Amino acid sequence: MRDWFLRSMITVAIAAAAVSAILSVSITRTSAQAPASVKAAAPTSAPALKTPWGEPDLQGIWTDESDTPLQRSPKYANQEFFTEAQRAELDKERAALLGRDRRVERGTELDVAGAYNAQFMSVKHTGARTSLIVDPPNGRIPPLTPEAQKIAAAEREFRLALLQATETCKNKSVACNGGKYDPTPSPRRAELPPRYNTARMNRRDNPEDGALPDRCLTGGLPEFGGATGSFRRIVQTPGGIAMFYDVGQGQGWQRNIVMNGSPHLPASVRQWYGDSRGHWEGNTLVIDVTNFSPKTDYQGSRQNLHLVERWTRTGPNTLEYAVTIEDPTMWTRPWTVKQEFTKQSEQENRIYYEPRCIEGNYASPGLMRGQRMAEAAFARGQGPDPAVSDNATDFVGVEDDPLQ
Amino acid sequence: MRGRFLRSTITVAIAAAVVSAVLSVSITRTSGQAPAAVRPARVAGKPNLSGIWQANNEANWDLQAHAALPGAVTQPGIYPYDYARVPAAPVLALGAAGAVPGSLGVVQGDGQIPYTAEAFMIKKENSEHWIDRDPELKCYLPGIPRAMYMPYPFQITQGTDKIHMAYEFSNTARTIHLDKVAGPPDDAWMGHSVGHWDGDTLAVDVTNFNDRSWFDRAGNFHSDALHLVERFTLMSPDIIRYEVTIEDPKVFTRPWRIAMPLYRRVEPNMQLLEFRCNEFVEEFMYGGLRKQQLVKHWEGETMAVDITRKVPTGDRFYDWYGGK
Repeated sequence: MRDWFLRSMITVAIAAAAVSAILSVSITRTSAQAPASVKAAAPTSAPALKTPWGEPDLQGIWTDESDTPLQRSPKYANQEFFTEAQRAELDKERAALLGRDRRVERGTELDVAGAYNAQFMSVKHTGARTSLIVDPPNGRIPPLTPEAQKIAAAEREFRLALLQATETCKNKSVACNGGKYDPTPSPRRAELPPRYNTARMNRRDNPEDGALPDRCLTGGLPEFGGATGSFRRIVQTPGGIAMFYDVGQGQGWQRNIVMNGSPHLPASVRQWYGDSRGHWEGNTLVIDVTNFSPKTDYQGSRQNLHLVERWTRTGPNTLEYAVTIEDPTMWTRPWTVKQEFTKQSEQENRIYYEPRCIEGNYASPGLMRGQRMAEAAFARGQGPDPAVSDNATDFVGVEDDPLQ
Repeated sequence: MRGRFLRSTITVAIAAAVVSAVLSVSITRTSGQAPAAVRPARVAGKPNLSGIWQANNEANWDLQAHAALPGAVTQPGIYPYDYARVPAAPVLALGAAGAVPGSLGVVQGDGQIPYTAEAFMIKKENSEHWIDRDPELKCYLPGIPRAMYMPYPFQITQGTDKIHMAYEFSNTARTIHLDKVAGPPDDAWMGHSVGHWDGDTLAVDVTNFNDRSWFDRAGNFHSDALHLVERFTLMSPDIIRYEVTIEDPKVFTRPWRIAMPLYRRVEPNMQLLEFRCNEFVEEFMYGGLRKQQLVKHWEGETMAVDITRKVPTGDRFYDWYGGK
């Protein structure tokens, strides 16, 4: 089953690589952001873009074929789009990095600790925008509320305490930024995290000490692709829309958009993927998503996360996706991300990407078993104290991407 | 068999499974709610199967006819007879909620599953080692046809060249390709579904299975040579007749068939919720690896449960009758 897991990961990586290879010709801008002449060339009422029953047709397999950082690098300030020259330069630089593992301090444990090397990562062509975030105009996530800052600081402190006696802090790795080395393991190793854990920590006393993806519990929305990319298949019926997401590690999931105009689920019903209720506004599918579980986490936002998604078919092969992300307990203002999806070949993507993560998850029990064995060995006087080793820090992927 | 059952148990997982199994369809009305969108009877000229459906039978317990059982796992009682067994530890604390409802079965014809002699022995063993072997208990993908009659709803979204089926259990789904799509290069838990309309019946050919999924909790199984032909026929706007011809030359001596109605969940506020059970089974699967275990007694990977159930005053059965 481990083989299957790897195979499916590799399939994703290969598919993504194939996608980026196809991409070299051009990147179409969405109508909303394109010059007027291009907009006029993409009529949104073309018959082919409607289902036989007259609703806008969003069906197919869709993905973002380019790489765009979530937040804009300060060096581009208020520049929303790259110039063609900037994109060409970035593509050249990034192509040189493609396939090279990300490295950290040479000769350290961390340098060889990456679970996923460049083999698993997809590096796609540089997108048109300097950031996925289109609002605020600086392309950055808005400042956190004081309450959210406090929570983030508590989380950070706890995680640094678990690292304090490790080589990571001793070598002043970036993973220990804000912390300091102390050869004595922190007594906080016996504490619960400040709130329900969703991210990796340097401890594996319980399954819940793992990050959600390690437990096959990847959060669902919003989904922007990440290092391995993501696909969504949309199937429509009169008055109904199903979406199946395929994301890294076989952690896919489904959404069945409720389209009957009824109110959201009761506040007591909380879900990993929230509660999606949609309606049409002209040619745009608008989906309101609430009722997230307190066990989900998007950039620190949990049960109060509120998304308003707008899906618009902009051309035969293009679909614009915009999502406004709101959580007044988390951010000082709502913010908006925009992506353009390109239609993918049915034939080349005919494999049903099964969400078979748990069926092959040897890592989660393996990490716990490893820790228990290391503890037992240490108790017998054989081997180092497991509390001074770092099993959490993982520099994945390709070398530092100049785009990010 | 008894020893194994006694020592391998997870009350929570069993309880969840049992409770779901006896869940019945209830109709609730939510006042002030918008009326459901009008669902046309046909989509592009074909009967419209879209909506949320659920089997209402005991097939997930056992495809074949069976009498009710005192527990999903049992042990010998005071008599040596099979018919006098009593519930075993995994479900003992659940009382009647841990029992198995009887059924007339869904296997057509003589009601027999035509196993080869060798395969029949495996089925028997599967049944005896249900807790350790049934993929449902581990929240693995249910496969087809089992996903169609597990005690959870599923949703059909019928397009013109794709039909999407989303299952509440384990958040899984399958796409039925009505257009020409070559098979996948690898096997799959949910198989590869290619459909066509045979008059007003949707016929689906399912292949490319792995050998991991089961048909039910009774240990009925298949190999990677499994080939299904499913037929979906609307009997009325709210009932589908669902029939499957099951073929697997590595396990069965001939093709055999199951059939059952699938009922529309007609509640106006019906929607699929999540049943993301991989979280629920972490303790079942990995609890023994905790630094400080929640279940106090593990023997290797086998959990041993001592059932302690202290009845609070007022809840003792005779308190209900005013006794002391």
